[in-house]
Amino acid sequence: MNICVLIKQVPGSEAQFNVSGDGSWIQETELPFEMNESDNYALEEALQIREQKGAGEVVIVSLGPDRSQKVIREALAKGADRAIHINADAPYNTDPYSIASTLANAVKDERFDLVLSGLQSEDLGFGQTGVILGEMLGMTTATLVVGTEVQEGKIKVKRELEAGWFQWQTMDLPASLAIQSGLNTPRYPSLKGIMTAKKKEIKKLNFVDICNVDELQSFAGLSVQHTEKQTEMIEGNIDQIVNRLVDVFKNEIRIN
Amino acid sequence: MDNFQFSSIEKIILTLSTLTCLGSFSYEVWRRFKIVLKGRESLPFDQFGKRCWRVVREVLFHEKVMGGRFWPGLMHGLVFWGFLVFGLITINHFATGFGVPLLSSSFHHAYSYFGIPFAILVLIGIIALAYRRFITRPKYLGKTSPTSGLVAVFIAILMLTYIFGEWDLSPLVWKINWWLHTSVILGFLWLVPRSKHLHLVLAPVNIFFKPFILPDHTPVEIDLEASEEELDNMLASLTKMTMNQALDVFSCVECGRCTEVCPANRGGGILDPKNHFMLDLRDPLMETGDVDVLAKLNVEAGWECTTCQACTDVCPVGNHVEKSDEIRRLEVLVEGKVPQEYQKLFNNLQESGNTEGAFSSPLADSLPRYNSEMEYVLWLGCFARYGLDPDFENSVRSFTKILDAAKVSYGVLEKEHCSGDPANRLGDKLTFSMLRGHNVKELGGAKKIVTLCPHCAVNLGSEYAKYGEINYKVEHHTQVIERLLNEGKIIVEKGEKGKVTFHDPCNLSRMMDEVDAPRKAITSVTNDFMELEESGRKTLCCGAGGGLWWKKETKGRTHLVRAEQVVESGADTVVTGCNFCYGMMKQGLGALTPDDRSAINVKDVADIVAENMITS
Amino acid sequence: MDILVVLEDKNGRIHRMSLEAIAGAQQIGSECGLSIGILAFGKNASALGEQAKHYDVEEVLTLENEHLNDYTADGYADAVANVITSENPALVFFGHTYQIRDYAPRVSAKLKRPFLNDVVSYKNESGKPVFSKQAFNAKLIAELNPNSAGPILVSFQSASFSSDTIQSGSASLRSISIEIDASAIKTVPEDPFQEAAGGVDLSSAELIVSIGRGIGKEENIPLVQELANVMGAEIASSRPVVDSGWLPAHHQVGSSGQTVAPKLYLALGISGAIQHVVGMKGSKNIIVINKDPDAPLFELADYGVVGDVLEIIPKLTEALQ
Repeated sequence: MNICVLIKQVPGSEAQFNVSGDGSWIQETELPFEMNESDNYALEEALQIREQKGAGEVVIVSLGPDRSQKVIREALAKGADRAIHINADAPYNTDPYSIASTLANAVKDERFDLVLSGLQSEDLGFGQTGVILGEMLGMTTATLVVGTEVQEGKIKVKRELEAGWFQWQTMDLPASLAIQSGLNTPRYPSLKGIMTAKKKEIKKLNFVDICNVDELQSFAGLSVQHTEKQTEMIEGNIDQIVNRLVDVFKNEIRIN
Repeated sequence: MDNFQFSSIEKIILTLSTLTCLGSFSYEVWRRFKIVLKGRESLPFDQFGKRCWRVVREVLFHEKVMGGRFWPGLMHGLVFWGFLVFGLITINHFATGFGVPLLSSSFHHAYSYFGIPFAILVLIGIIALAYRRFITRPKYLGKTSPTSGLVAVFIAILMLTYIFGEWDLSPLVWKINWWLHTSVILGFLWLVPRSKHLHLVLAPVNIFFKPFILPDHTPVEIDLEASEEELDNMLASLTKMTMNQALDVFSCVECGRCTEVCPANRGGGILDPKNHFMLDLRDPLMETGDVDVLAKLNVEAGWECTTCQACTDVCPVGNHVEKSDEIRRLEVLVEGKVPQEYQKLFNNLQESGNTEGAFSSPLADSLPRYNSEMEYVLWLGCFARYGLDPDFENSVRSFTKILDAAKVSYGVLEKEHCSGDPANRLGDKLTFSMLRGHNVKELGGAKKIVTLCPHCAVNLGSEYAKYGEINYKVEHHTQVIERLLNEGKIIVEKGEKGKVTFHDPCNLSRMMDEVDAPRKAITSVTNDFMELEESGRKTLCCGAGGGLWWKKETKGRTHLVRAEQVVESGADTVVTGCNFCYGMMKQGLGALTPDDRSAINVKDVADIVAENMITS
Repeated sequence: MDILVVLEDKNGRIHRMSLEAIAGAQQIGSECGLSIGILAFGKNASALGEQAKHYDVEEVLTLENEHLNDYTADGYADAVANVITSENPALVFFGHTYQIRDYAPRVSAKLKRPFLNDVVSYKNESGKPVFSKQAFNAKLIAELNPNSAGPILVSFQSASFSSDTIQSGSASLRSISIEIDASAIKTVPEDPFQEAAGGVDLSSAELIVSIGRGIGKEENIPLVQELANVMGAEIASSRPVVDSGWLPAHHQVGSSGQTVAPKLYLALGISGAIQHVVGMKGSKNIIVINKDPDAPLFELADYGVVGDVLEIIPKLTEALQ
C-alpha cells in the first residue's frame, strides 16, 4: 500500500503575528515553526495503515521554503520512508489550485494508493489542496475523516458530519483523504528513527520549475483582526438582564 | 545445665543437615548474586569510610527503620539486636552438637543473665510485629505473607527454646529442646534466601553500596554521529539494570514505606512504588537469570511519578526505589510513545530552548545582563522567565531587591535555555543533551550560579556533572539569603504577621539536602513559625515534579494532597522555596480553603525576607 | 444569473447556512447590481425549490437525478460543475458547511476556477465584491484576489450574514436535468448515525458554558446542565471545580486543561485567574456573569453582568426554551 502524506510547516499556533510591510505575508523572523497539526494525524494514520498492511511506502510530499526540511525530517524520523521537497521561497503562492497542480506534477511518476493530508493548514486555512489533488489524480476524495478501514481495492472511511453525526462510506482506491485531528495518537520519533532519518532520501524539486498553471487567487492584504474589547455591562433587574442576554445570543452572536 | 553428649548418629545427622541447609542457603544467595554481577556498572567502593559509617547508622542504630515508623521500627530493633546478641550463642549451640563447645558452661550460664531478658525483649518485639502484620493489617504491607508468619513462629520458638534450655532439664528433654532449636535454625537457613528475609544478609551490603547522589540513574550519552551498531548497543543497554539496582530488588523487604510516602499514590493514582518500581522486577530477574528486564515495568505507573525521591529516601534497606527515569527513557527513546502534551513540550524545547515555545522574556530583559565581572549568574528558569505563574515575577524581584541591598552583583544570561529538567525527568535524553550542551557553552567561565528554582539547581549541578566536569557551583537562593543574613549583609525585622509555615520543595530538601537555609530566613522574620507534618527531608511533594506540571489529565489529586495538609495546618501563610511549589499552592489552596476562612497567603522565601527587610 | 446560490438540504428544508448565503447574495446583489439564481438539487430538490421560490431572487433551478439521491462528493461535484458550466454565473455562493468542504474543491478543480472558502466579510469595490477570510489561526484577515473573471466559487462562514434579513418575493421555477455517468460515482455511503458524547473535545465546541467556584456547590450543576442543553452548548469549568470533584477533569479549561476558542464562552462564576484565561482568551464572544464586580475576567468580556449566577441561570434557561 503506497501512501503519500502531504505535510506543511506552519507558524506555531500560539505565536503573535506581525504583517509584513506590503501586507502580503507575515514577518517570519523569530517565529516558531511546527508541523501543521492535522498533518501530524494524517502521518500517523498513514504509518498505522502501512503497519497493518505490512508492506508499501509512506512518502512525504512537502511544499515550502528551506526551513520545511525540519518537519520533513521529523516525519521521516517517525517512520516515513522518503520524501519529496518542493522548494518554494517567498513570496509564497497561496492558491490551493496551483499548489495542488504543482503537487500533482511532482508525483506524476508515483503510484499512490492513498493520499493523506491534514484537514486544513493553520496558516492559510483553505482545506482544499488534498481534495483538488485527488480530483486531478483521478482519485475518490473525502474530508473530515475520523476513521479508516482499508479493504481489498477499496477504503471505508468515517466522516464527521456536524452536530455529533457521523457517516461511513466505502470508496474506490486510489483515494485522497483529508484527515481530522484526534482520530489517532501520533507517535513521537524514537531515537533510532531520528538518527536513521538523516540517511533517508529527500528529493528536491523547485516550485518555479514544476508549477505550470497560473494562480487562480491570491492573498491581497493581510491585516490584524480588530478586537477592540469594549465590554458592555448589562444592567437592570433579573428579567431585563435575561432579556438582553437572549437578545445578544440571537442577534449579536447569532446562535440558534 | 551441663553439656550433654551427642551420639555419633546425632553428629552425622547434624553434619548432613547443616551442610545441606548451608549449601542450599549458599546456593540461593549465589544464584541471586550471579544475577547482580551481570548488571551494568560496578558496585561502588568510593568514600569507603562514609559508606561504613552509614551502615553503622542505618543498620546498627536503625536510623531509618525507626525514623520512618517509630514503634514498629523499635520492635524490629529488638528482634534485630537480639539476632546480634544471640550470634555467639548460636555458633556455640552448633559447636556443642559436634562435641566441641566454644564457651565454657559457666560463661554460658553467666551470659544467660543477659541473654534471657534479651530473649524476652525479642519475644515482645516479634509478637508486637506479628500482631501489627496479622491483626492490625496496615495496607502498605500488602497481602498476607506466609513467610512472615513462619519467621515469627521461628523466632518465637528460638527464643523460647533458648530460655527453656537454660533451666534444669533432664537429658532427654534438653536434647529434644536442643534439636528443636537446631531444626528451626536450619529451617531459617532454608527460608531466608527464598524470601524477603534475605534482607538479613543483603541490607547491610545494599546500604553500603547505596549511591550518595539523589537521584541516581545511569547517564544516557547520546552521540548523534554514532554508527547504527553503536546506537543499537546503547539502546539495548537501556533495558539492563545496574548491579546496584538488581541488588536492590533482592534486598527489598516489602515494608511498603515507599508506597506510603508516594505523592502519586496518596493522590489516588495507580502508582505503587513497592510493586511498580521494585517487586515487579523480582520474578523477571529470577526467571531469566539476567538483568535485561527493565522493559517489564508498568508504563502507566511510570508516567505518574513526580520524581520526588521520597520513596528512595525512606527505604530502610537502602534501595533506590524510583525507576520512572528508566521507564520513561525507554518509552521516549526506544518506543516513541509519548503523551501528547509532552510531545508539545519537547518540541517547544527543541524549537525555542524553553518549555513555552516563547521567543522573548520581558522579565529577563528588565534585569542586568551577566558579564564576567559579576559575582553571580542569576539563573531564572523557564517558569520565571516565561511567566508560568505571572505572580512569581514578584518573587524574583524580591530576591533581586535582597541582592541589591547586600550589594551582590548578578546578571542573567542572555541566551539562557531551559536547564533541561523536564526533558531529563521525562526521559527525553536527546533534548536534554542539546539543552545541556548549549547551557554549558553559554555559562562559559562563570563560577557561581544562583537560582530560585531547585529543579534548575539540581540539573545544572549534579545532573550535568554526570556527563562531564562542571566548573561552577550552583546555589539555591535560600542558601544565598541564609549566608547574607549570617554575614549581616541584610537586616530584617520580625514583622511578619500570622502563623507561617514552610513547604519544603523535594528538589531542595532531599536532592540538595538543604532544609536549614529557608528556616533560617523565615525564623528571622517571624516568631510564629510552625512545621507541617512531613516536613524537611520527609516533605510531601507538591505534585508538579517530573514534568507533571505540564500533564493535562491528572487521574488522581496528587497536586492537592499537600495543599490539603497546608489548609489543615491552620497556617495563614505558606512559604515555598520553589516556583513550581509556589504555582501548585496558588492553584490548590483556592479550591480547598473553606469559605469562612480568609485566603492563605503563598509567598516565596525571597518575598517574606524582602518584605521584612530594613533598608538603611 | 450573476450569482448562483447552491442550496444544501437539511432533511427536506433549506439548510440555515444556505439561507444565510441567500441573504448574502441579496445584499451583495443589490449593492453591486447583480441578479440571483438558486440551485436546489438532490432527492428533496422540489421541496427545497418550493421554499426557495418565495424569496426575492430571479429564478430557482431544480435538479433531480438518481445519482444525487444520496450525497457523494463524486456525484455532487459532477452535478454542480455541470450546472455552473451551463448557467455560467459570475459568482457561486455556498454556506461553508462540512458538505461544501467535501465537494466544492472538486468543483473548483473540474472547472479550474478559484474557490474562496470560509469567507467572513466582503467590501464593495466599485461595484465588485471583494471577499476576505481569516488566516493564521483566525488571528489575521486576508483579502482574497481572484485573478480573472468568473465563475468564482465562494462559501460563507456561519453567521457572516443573517438569515433574518432575507427578502421575500417570488421567483420562477425551472427544472433542469443533467447526465451523470454511473461509473463516475465511486463512493457508496451508509446511513449517518449519532454517537454518544464521549470525552468532550471542548476545543472544537462552538458554544461553551463554563462554571467556576461561583456556582457555589456541586448540587447546582444540574441547573447549568439544563442551560447548556437548551443552548446546545458544552460544559466546561475552571480548575477549582475539577479539583473539588464536581466535574471530571476533561471539562477543565486553562493552562493545565483544554484550550478553547468557541463562538461563545459563557463564564458563570469564574473570577478569571490567569491560569484559566490562557485557555479561553481566544473565544470569539465572552460573556461573564459574576457577583464580584472586580473579577478580572470582566476585562476580557464582550458582555458582563454583575449578578447572582444562581438567579440568572434558571431564568435564562426558561427564556431560551
